[in-house]
Formats: sequence, structure tokens, C-alpha cells
Amino acid sequence: MATIAVPLGAEAESREPDVVARPALSEYLRWSVDHKIIGVQYGVASFIFFLVGGAMALLIRLELLTPELDLMVSGAAYNSLFTIHGTIMIFLFIIPMWAAFGNFVVPLQLGAKDMAFPWLNAFAFWLIPPAAVVVLLGYFVTPAEAGWTSYPPLSTLFSGDGQTLWALGAHLLGISSIMGSINFIVTILNMRPPQMTLWRMPLLCWAVLATSIIAVMATPFLAGALTLLLLDRVAGTTFFDAAGGGDVLLWQNIFWFYSHPAVYIMVLPGMGVLSEVLSVHSRKPVFGYRMVGLSSMGIAFVGFTVWAHHMFTSLQPELRIPFMITTMIIAVPTGIKMFSWLGTIWGGKIRFTSAMLFALGFMSMFVIGGITGVMLAALPFDIHVHDTYFVVSHFHFVLFGGSVFAIYAALYHWFPKVTGRMMNERLGRIHFVFTYFGFLFTFFPMHIVGMLGMPRRVAVYDPAFTSWNQLIGVSAFVLGFSTFIVIYNIIRSYYRGPIAGANPWRALTLEWATTSPPPVTNFADDPIPFEDPYGYGTEASAAYLEAVDAAFDRRGARA
Amino acid sequence: MTSAFDLREKPKTSQDRAAALRLKNNRLGMTIFQASWIMVFLALIVVNWQLRFSYAQWPPAGVAPFDPLLPTIATLALLVSAILVRRGWGSLRRRAIDAFSLNWRLAMALGIAFMMIIVFEFINVSEAALATQYGVTLRLMTGFHLAHALAIMAVMLRVYRGARSGAYGGGDAEGWAVEGTAKLWYFVVVAWLMFYLVLYWIR
Repeated sequence: MATIAVPLGAEAESREPDVVARPALSEYLRWSVDHKIIGVQYGVASFIFFLVGGAMALLIRLELLTPELDLMVSGAAYNSLFTIHGTIMIFLFIIPMWAAFGNFVVPLQLGAKDMAFPWLNAFAFWLIPPAAVVVLLGYFVTPAEAGWTSYPPLSTLFSGDGQTLWALGAHLLGISSIMGSINFIVTILNMRPPQMTLWRMPLLCWAVLATSIIAVMATPFLAGALTLLLLDRVAGTTFFDAAGGGDVLLWQNIFWFYSHPAVYIMVLPGMGVLSEVLSVHSRKPVFGYRMVGLSSMGIAFVGFTVWAHHMFTSLQPELRIPFMITTMIIAVPTGIKMFSWLGTIWGGKIRFTSAMLFALGFMSMFVIGGITGVMLAALPFDIHVHDTYFVVSHFHFVLFGGSVFAIYAALYHWFPKVTGRMMNERLGRIHFVFTYFGFLFTFFPMHIVGMLGMPRRVAVYDPAFTSWNQLIGVSAFVLGFSTFIVIYNIIRSYYRGPIAGANPWRALTLEWATTSPPPVTNFADDPIPFEDPYGYGTEASAAYLEAVDAAFDRRGARA
Repeated sequence: MTSAFDLREKPKTSQDRAAALRLKNNRLGMTIFQASWIMVFLALIVVNWQLRFSYAQWPPAGVAPFDPLLPTIATLALLVSAILVRRGWGSLRRRAIDAFSLNWRLAMALGIAFMMIIVFEFINVSEAALATQYGVTLRLMTGFHLAHALAIMAVMLRVYRGARSGAYGGGDAEGWAVEGTAKLWYFVVVAWLMFYLVLYWIR
């Protein structure tokens, strides 16, 4: 029998004010220890970096419209461009963007008043701007040319001082990531209300917990690798130089021990978002809740055993098969999630909101990214397409098709909670159409040119690939254009969107049991979570939602 | 301000509960930090290990193995200092400030002795060893560890002064600075034991 309890915060607040009370915009430019402010700071900063990194991607595609060098002055300039593009997108956009949603949503979902270490939280964020300045400064000095993976000897013998600045900036970002992750783990484990056991915790929290475990265990390896790289560059050591007794593959081993798990740092929170959005917008309980939570942990664990598949072509032959097997095994927990999501929406009352559309977009794209991942895990195929556009396509399906679609789903889902106003759904759907097809026609053809043999990281290519590259280029600009739609929607909705009310999606998790936006301490008193965060379709949940509605006098638009 | 209480007793007031939660968070946060940061040391061990395979033998031909005598003495000093740190922390919980001071001072003295020996080792790597990764990795690992030991020693000194001036009470919450610093020193010890074995004994 369910216990129906209105969150105390709701009772105490009693009525939603007519005018949305939001922090002044200047609050977001200052040091603040409020997790909600920090969440928005992360989000806005990351989105700006997304625009910068995206503009660079368009420059790359512009260059590749013809098989000759025309936009870039040299191949080295092209190398620098894709290096900074990858660095910005991974270190300054996707990873901090998940910190944005984690910061804003996780304490609210837990019914906590703030993160466990508010000061540390703010410090972790404020490390990012100087790190970004250092990295970007490097691009304008003598840029790094070794790609975001920075393989020696390219990064030691053939890159300018920008590579040193790149390593310093990455160091700072790594420290920020570790501090943020420690905060998430402690908050999630220690600051839940007594009624919320681990098995009643929202799945976004499970995903952030798994992500944070990966980050705290893997990121120090990146710190170790970067320290060696810096020493090789500035102190005359030869850790990566065979001529001095070093080992060029040493970097690859240590770097990928961090960077492959980092893929899951970039994807797992998105998977948590999917579980939230699909359940809420199809009014169905999450199918196989426990398995979804455990599969996040499974991905985190297995993610540490696959790094050497990035080195298949240089790996000792006897190690190839074991890493091939572990790489394929990671498809199992991922598959569990995919089937869970399908089971969740199956037979549900699906509302095709913008958030739902992007969540469904994630599923379709991530399946492609996952399947090509299994293809690449197969050694014979990997050797065939090694360093071709097939690989570029695969990881964009995972990281754009996965992360960015989930980021948009999260944006449309939680924007009302952050700002107190609804986003425009019509614009959201237009944004989805442009993003979906722009993305599909940008990255799917890369599979084909890759299998036909077009190498990655080249500005000059065989003219036989021109038509494909022109299709990809035009689609990339469509994708780029789609971003302006969401920017317009964000700005318009922030000022003129309909008032959202406390719980516009009629969701059961605790972030919706307080005002939108929430007050400084999140809840007026200790909130009581509903017994099942995804228990839609029951009398108890209906009664709970009615009680929340009554407490907040819900008004305003509803999708 | 935190109120003085012992976690073994159930906190009664909301202020005590908040302080208890803060302490619980601090302890878990410290544990996670230690588990995380030890991975950097582990990464350096992996570096050492992989570089060994660049050579036909380890130490490389023509390079004399490092003498473990002085590092062993340093390791013993470090281990004893950890015990003294633990005793000092326990003394403070019992509000025995004099006993705390004695233990903590001795621990710091042994820690400084450890660092001096390791600095000596760092400086006195032979030219032949430095021409190979055998000597370079020793400097890398000992130098990295020294940087941590030095930073945490500075924290120990600050905590010592604070305790002497009565900044920390007898309760768990008020004594967190001492507990946290002690745990950081344990971290220095564990990290060193790993390095010590790899650098001086495993060939």
C-alpha cells in the first residue's frame, strides 16, 4: 500500500507566486555556492564552448568541401583546427555540460538543500574558465597539432608551445572533474532523505553516481600522463621517446585508461536523462529499474577493461582477443538499458514533447553508434577501417547522437524547473527535425567514405570522395543552423515563455515537488519522496500528483 | 560553528545533526579523494613497469641497482610517524593536548627525516642511472611523492599550531582538521610503500 505524502516543501510554500522569482542574471557571473547557480554557470559556459567548437567543426567541413587545401594555409593549420575542436567538445562542452545538469538536478532529486561540499563545488566550476583560457591561448600561440588524443611523438616533437598549454589546461580540467565527482558521490550517498533507499533513487542519480566513480578513478591516470607529457616537453625527459629509452606506446596505454572510460563519463548521464524523460513523457514506470541502475555500474566497471582496443593495430597480438572480448561485453549493460527504454515506452501514453523527441532521437542514434562500436570491437574489421572516417562516424554517433541529443532532451525537460517558464514546443520540434536530419546526413555517410578508405585527419583527399564530402558539408551546416533555433527558443522562453508551475510534466521525482525555480534552500522543509520515483499509472501516484498540484496551485502551460 | 559532540552518540539537536552530516560527508569525501588520488601513484607505477620492458634487463646493463638501505630507514621512520600521528589524534580526542603535541612533534620530525633521506636519494642518482629510465623514473616517482609529503607536512604544521592554540575541541566534528590531516599523512605512507617496493625491491 502506497503512502501518500505531500512534500513538506510544497505544504510550506503553499502557493506559486504569479511572477517567477529568479535570481538576477548578475548572480550567474559571480562566485556562488548555490548548486543551482553553479549548475546554470556550468550549462551556459559549456554551451558557449559548444558554439565555439561547433564553429570550428563547420570550418573543418568547409575545408573538406573540396579535395584540395583551400581554406587552410597548410595541413598543419588543419591539424590544429581539429585538435582544438575535439578538445573543446570533450573537455569544455560535454563533460562540464553533464556537471551542469548534475549540479542543478541531483540535489533536488535527492531532496537535499545543496551539494555536500558547496565551496568545493564552486571552486570546481571556477577552474574551468582559466583552464579554457589556457587551452585556447595555446591555439593562438603555436597550436597543438596532435589531435585531442595528443599521441607522442606528434605531441612531443612536432607540436608548438600550444601543446604545453593544452596539457596544463587539461590538467586543470581534470582536477575540476575530480572535485566535482567527489562532491556528487558524497551527495548521492549521504544526503538522501531516509525514505529514499538506493533502490528508490532516481535513475539520473544512479547514472551520475556511476559517472562520478569513473571520473574519480580514471581521471588521475590522465593527470599522470599529462605530467609525463609536460616533463617530456619542458624538462628534457624522454618517457615517450624510444631513442632515450622511453616508449611511445606508454602514452597510449595511460591516456586510454582514462579516455575510454571518459566516453562513459560523457554518455552515462545522458542515459540517466533518458530514463527520466522516457518514463515521465510516456507515463510508464521504468522497465527493469534495478537492472538499469546496475547496468550503469556495470558499464562503469567494464569500461576500465577495454582501453587497449584503441591500440589494436599496435597491440601485442596475444592481447588483442581479450580486449576484443571485453569491448564486446560492454554492449551487454548498454543493451540492457536500450531494451529497458523500449520496454518503458511500450504501451505508454507517449507525449511527443520536444524532450521526448530528443530522447527518442538519442535511442535511434545511439543504437547506430553502439552497433558500429561492436563492429569496431571486431579485430579484423577494426584493422580494415583503422584511422578512417568510419571511426569518426562511430564516435560522433556515440558522442553527438548520444550526449548531445540527451543534453537537448534534458534541456527541454528541466528548462521549466530552472527558469520557471516553459520552452516553446513548436520551436522545439522544428529544432529537433533540423538537428536529427542534419546530424544523420552529416555523420551517416562518413561510415561509407570510411569503409571506402578515406582516412581521418586529412585536409587533402582522393577526389573520388568529393560528392560524399559535399553532402556531409551541407548537412553539417544544416546541423549548425539548428543550434540557432534552440538559442532563440531559450532566450524567447526565458523572457516570454508561459509560467511553468511547479510540476508541468506531472512527474514524481522530488525536483518537481518544489517551486520553479526552486528557492535558495530548495525546499522549505525536509521533503518526502514518493515511494517509487517512476510509479506512474497507479492510484497512489495520481493521488500524490493531485496533492502536489493542490499544494502549489499549478497553473500555466502544459505540453 | 560546529558543536562538540561524538559521533558515537546519537545527535539530538538539528545543529548536531547538521554537524554530524558534515562530518560524515568529510569522511566519505576524504576516502574517495584518497582512492582517487592514489590512482596517480598507480599510474606512475604503470609507467615504471612499462618502461622496464624497453630494456633487456632491469636495472639496465651497466647500471648499479639502487641501495635500499637508506630508503628502508626512511620507510621505517615514515611508518613510525604514522603511528605517532594516530596516537596524537587519539590524544586530542581525549583533550590531552600535551600528549597530542608530543606525538605530533615527533611525527613531524620523523616525517622531515624521511623527506631528507629521500631528497638525498633524489640528488644522488648516478649519471649512469640517469642516462636510462631506471634513474629517471626514480626521480619522477620520489619527486612526485616528495611534493605530496611536503604539502601535507605543511598542513600538519598548521594543524599543530591550531591544536596548540585550542582551535580543535575534543569532539569528532571539531577535530576533523586533525583527523583529516592524519588521514592525509596515512595516504603519504601508503603511496610511499607502493613506490618503495617498486623502486627498490621488485626487479
